[in-house]
Amino acid sequence: MSSTDSMSDWLKPASVVALLALLLLAPSIQDRLAEESTRYIEDNESSHHGLPAEWDEQQVLCIYFPSDSPHSEFNLGVTMIGPDGEEIGTNEDLNRTGACVGGFEGYSNGLDFMMNSTRMANGHLSVGYEVGQWGAFVHTIGGLNPETLTGDFNGAYWHLDHNGASSMVGIGDLVMSEGDVIEWSIGTW
Amino acid sequence: MYDFHNGYLSPLQTLALNVAVLSIIVLSLIRSERSLRDQSQWGVLILLAIFGVSGRILMEPIPNVQPVTVLVILTGAYFGAPRALALAAIVALASNVIFMGHGPWTIFQAIGWGAIGICGALLSDKLVVNEKLRLNRLALMAAASGIAFNWFVSLSILLDTGFSMLVPYLLNGLVFDLYHAFGNILFVAWMATPLGEIMSRHRSSQSLEAVRDGVAN
Repeated sequence: MSSTDSMSDWLKPASVVALLALLLLAPSIQDRLAEESTRYIEDNESSHHGLPAEWDEQQVLCIYFPSDSPHSEFNLGVTMIGPDGEEIGTNEDLNRTGACVGGFEGYSNGLDFMMNSTRMANGHLSVGYEVGQWGAFVHTIGGLNPETLTGDFNGAYWHLDHNGASSMVGIGDLVMSEGDVIEWSIGTW
Repeated sequence: MYDFHNGYLSPLQTLALNVAVLSIIVLSLIRSERSLRDQSQWGVLILLAIFGVSGRILMEPIPNVQPVTVLVILTGAYFGAPRALALAAIVALASNVIFMGHGPWTIFQAIGWGAIGICGALLSDKLVVNEKLRLNRLALMAAASGIAFNWFVSLSILLDTGFSMLVPYLLNGLVFDLYHAFGNILFVAWMATPLGEIMSRHRSSQSLEAVRDGVAN
């Protein structure tokens, strides 16, 4: 009996201290892990498919709009916009509509990249987000807030893909490498 | 007019508020348990389920720190695998539908917690020796179960993405695995002994057989 009680005597304060220490250290551990884990994500060349060849090895952000709520400016194919805001052309073979802004280098923070690249589209792709407890949450892109969409689904949201696969972290925590392609499209549940 | 419900609470304030609410729930559950006759296992299981669901929802400000994992281990150890499985599935489903979000992961969580409950039943005579809980063994098992549970539930991403995403996903979740392990140790330290006393009061000879049957099968 006494051994059980003495065990619980030191376990009680120790467990509180350990959890508090973890809570304090968690953000820095999480940053290191996020950096480490990007190494495992292939810089998927196929995610550059359909984009201008001059953007190979460069960073690109694409926004795709749903067919029943197209963007007023980008409703025919996917418009390609260069890093200086100049329209390069439109790819109508991608079977979706929207815009890509590309030709960037050197970004490592996903949210910085998103805010700076969308600024090149003359305000047509302005981003609305709020910072909650667990990071930045994007609610509106180019005037479209998915909460206003209705259809055969429970709810809709702006879905984030990183190099062709669902991103595991939000845009605020996304660590970018050269040649990365970030894509936003409407997801539903 | 003033909207009193609209006041903004910081995460820490939310947590303090929730811990206070949870304490009220726990105190009233302990009072309710006293009115139960001895060996009324299903009564206790219902109280445990309420504690698990409300604990999981109210501890939400700290991810993965919740009492459910320790509850199913103890239920397995005291009442046997079948009752632990029932508790695991009920708590996973109810808390997800009410608050945490229901989806394909619910079945992974129910199976994960169920498996932990079965382990609790299998290790029953190692965890409860002479009617006394061995807290060090329980803490070790609870910490390991937390990490194993998280990795098992992470497999649900394979329904959406390829296998290559699993390693970065697990790596990204390592802090959350540690939260679960440390949280479990905290719950073992603070509530395993009183819960164990309550459960052993309601442990009938029948459920002892059920534990042994579970082990034999």
